Amino acid sequence: MFFVRVNMNDRTYQVTETPPEYRHLAGRGLTSTLVANEVPPLCHPLGPNNKLVFAAGFLSGTSAPTSARISVGAKSPLTGGIKEANAGTSWAADLAAMNIQALIIEGQPKEKGAYWGITITWEGKPKVEFFESTQYTGKVLPDVYPAMYEKYGDKISVCGVGMAAEHGYGNSGVVFNDMHKRPTRYAGRGGMGAVMASKGLKFIVLNRMGAPGMPIVDKALFEEGRKKMIDALRTHAITKPKGALNTYGTAVLINIMNEAGGLPTRNFSSGRFEGAPRIAGEAIFETNKKRKGEEIYNHACSPGCIIQCSNTIFDEKGDEITSCLEYESDWSLGADCGIDNLDDVAQLNALCNAYGLDTIETGTTIAVAMEAGVIPFGDSKGAINLVHEMGKGTPIGRILGAGAATTGRVYGVTRVPVVKGQAMPAYEPRAVKGIGITYATTTMGADHTAGYTIAPEILGVMGKQDPLSPEGKAALSRAFQATTAFIDSSGHCLFIAFAILDIASGYQGMIDEVNGVLGTSWTADDILKQGAEILKAERRFNEAAGIGKEADRMPEFMKTEPLPPHNNVFDVPDAALDSVFAEL
Amino acid sequence: MATIRIDVWLYGALAHYGGNPDERVFANPQVSIPEGSALRDLLKALKMDTQERGITFINGDLSAMPGIQPDLDHPLKDGDRVAFFHLQSMWPFQYRHGVGMIAELQQAMLESEDSGLHHTYQSGKES
Repeated sequence: MFFVRVNMNDRTYQVTETPPEYRHLAGRGLTSTLVANEVPPLCHPLGPNNKLVFAAGFLSGTSAPTSARISVGAKSPLTGGIKEANAGTSWAADLAAMNIQALIIEGQPKEKGAYWGITITWEGKPKVEFFESTQYTGKVLPDVYPAMYEKYGDKISVCGVGMAAEHGYGNSGVVFNDMHKRPTRYAGRGGMGAVMASKGLKFIVLNRMGAPGMPIVDKALFEEGRKKMIDALRTHAITKPKGALNTYGTAVLINIMNEAGGLPTRNFSSGRFEGAPRIAGEAIFETNKKRKGEEIYNHACSPGCIIQCSNTIFDEKGDEITSCLEYESDWSLGADCGIDNLDDVAQLNALCNAYGLDTIETGTTIAVAMEAGVIPFGDSKGAINLVHEMGKGTPIGRILGAGAATTGRVYGVTRVPVVKGQAMPAYEPRAVKGIGITYATTTMGADHTAGYTIAPEILGVMGKQDPLSPEGKAALSRAFQATTAFIDSSGHCLFIAFAILDIASGYQGMIDEVNGVLGTSWTADDILKQGAEILKAERRFNEAAGIGKEADRMPEFMKTEPLPPHNNVFDVPDAALDSVFAEL
Repeated sequence: MATIRIDVWLYGALAHYGGNPDERVFANPQVSIPEGSALRDLLKALKMDTQERGITFINGDLSAMPGIQPDLDHPLKDGDRVAFFHLQSMWPFQYRHGVGMIAELQQAMLESEDSGLHHTYQSGKES
């Protein structure tokens, strides 16, 4: 396996064998370890000393199901701390097939406003070539992505950044192609797009033709694990064909969270939105059925995914408005802004994809602006206009593009739902206190994907603590965060966790798959330990960047403002929050 | 006999129990049942088998999941909001850890396999 280092100072590159100390790292484990080891914690995120690292998971590029995840890591311009964001795309599988364990983008060109793209092909080893890309800037992504396919053929995978990244926004993602060659699959959070753009890099085009494919040390063990994983995913109620995710997508959670009083509404002022049923997964499925004349089940975001949870929103003529509208995007651009017009929510989502914006940060930022009176809550056309302002880079667009925290500061808003500068996703911590602990303490800033669990044995970490006590919840959050760090390294989508927590053979399947690829004999305990080591590396970086335990806190208003309908505050003691990393 | 009125929310495939046989998105009927009724009496009034429902809420507190239904004898009072979800819905553990639950479900979770640290509770973990 190779490390490919691209130097944007002089547009040169180096290909080296993977250093031994990184041999058994992949995905988030590799991006975070490299960033922690090589990026000066106090550097400017958009300056020449930051590095942008791409790493596919252990299993990416193999036939393991639902395993084409790519991790993108750097110091974040949104949080000022370490960041890993990931996406499902053929790009991940192609990078792995070319045996590139890490692609590291370094330096910064002296020419301001100039952009390049790179192609990576296989000529006995990875070969990098540069091409001019300034002509593709200042345009929405759907208008420029096809040019890459016209230029380099159909067999490529494409990574890029949009206008939000070119403006240097803390709210800007790195985009990858979906199964239809479109720019829709985002490593969205934390401003990774702006880091890539700051290096004068617009596109990374992969052509795997002739590449050897991902090596597998113990094919029999890998196959055994793969079969167990497939069985688990195909039988579990959430992940099976025509199950919850394949039928309704993640937006099925809208009505659930609303009934629980945990759907943040109108900038986190209530936990219940009267318009929720009109934008929920059930409404999406039935609206599509009416408009298309048949039941439309969801599709895969990347090759080899058998969960297939990505939905499509069709307009009244049966034409696509956007794909995919996830629960968190549906919520942030809908309920959090008081918007219940599904077509307008879909349009907002499509615009985020076109400009290269993170949907969660965009919706929460607009909601903060609504609270400030910039436009009223519920004004969907006004919200669409604000996203255009962000795309165009007008003065107000640039304020909003800096994210919810900055927008709150500019407009003097006190109810700003962020942790470490990153906007909170769609689960109200005053109603779901367990996830609140993870929001507060994760190294990533408020992040709903930081605390998944994959095995009930995790209960063992709690000793005699009550899982519902603050201390018990903190212990579980610590274990959840460690197991998630490992899944984020495996190449599997986090949603495999739904099946393998409940089906023990599926969990063993994941361990067998990874051991088969690497030739290791890791156990369940080893996985937890590896996850913990990743978290420790991330934590060390953040502390050196000035983000210590004092930043592991919820915004003040959540501790003082009761949230209707339950009228609870976030009352987890600071000591319990501190225990998450103190006892890691 | 005195009656109480229940604010019922029916989602997805259960929406047709609200009166419109073609409705599949949601329904919000107001159902009158005798004072002193429990959740099972509400189900009877709706003509809905308890096995057809999955995730259930009483006044925003989780009261049942597919495979765990300790709420059948939970008493209802006038003005209660009760929400029933279809069996293709989901609520993964980490997104409900620490939410409000009725006491009967909290007890049932603690007594269930692995203290309830699962995403689903159906037999064989399958539907």
